[in-house]
Amino acid sequence: MLEIARNDNGVISLQGRFDASQVEAARAVLTTIAESCTLDFTDLTYISSAGLGLLFATQKRLVDSGGALKLVNLNPHIREIFQIAGFDNIFEIA
Amino acid sequence: MREIASLDEIFEFLEEFVDGQGVDERTALCINLVAEELFTNMVRHNQGGGDEIVIRVDRVDGQLRLELIDTDVEDFDPETVDVVPVKSGIEGRRPGGLGIHLVRSMVDDLKYDYQAEDRRMRISVTKTLET
Repeated sequence: MLEIARNDNGVISLQGRFDASQVEAARAVLTTIAESCTLDFTDLTYISSAGLGLLFATQKRLVDSGGALKLVNLNPHIREIFQIAGFDNIFEIA
Repeated sequence: MREIASLDEIFEFLEEFVDGQGVDERTALCINLVAEELFTNMVRHNQGGGDEIVIRVDRVDGQLRLELIDTDVEDFDPETVDVVPVKSGIEGRRPGGLGIHLVRSMVDDLKYDYQAEDRRMRISVTKTLET
């Protein structure tokens, strides 16, 4: 299960597992992002290529319009997945 | 069943296995990821295949072995998927191929075989357990 919430400070928090069964629900939220923002991965425990693909599409759309996503608080496993995927070249990760 | 919604059931099956075997957390997450990538590829690309995709997991000599079998499908070796340009920036990247790239990177060995008689595809991977 994946939960996505926008906090009062504009940061979007992801909680749970971002697998292929969660992509459509996540797409409904991520497509509403219209400008640069921060995604907080503190409570994200798992991500697969399905989740990565949706994040990539969101980043591509924002970059094309002059914005970008910033990703924070990745756990070591998810950080490793991002490195293997080469996504550390695509996203600002803090 | 041959549907993405079966992933929860697959994760539960794998969790029960790795808990029972005392598998380390990192290897357990890797096996979850590999199972998802191979299973979803079969669901998406082997349309018209049999009702079920068989998933087996076993522990042999310090390694986990995961096997997925799909029947009544076309021959498609995942090793033939183009290499993903992971060093490229966003302009040089295209969607696709990332799942197989992750699988190749995270396992020690990947074997594919196809039996034309019953149109059966089998993919097996091994992953060494961390000590």
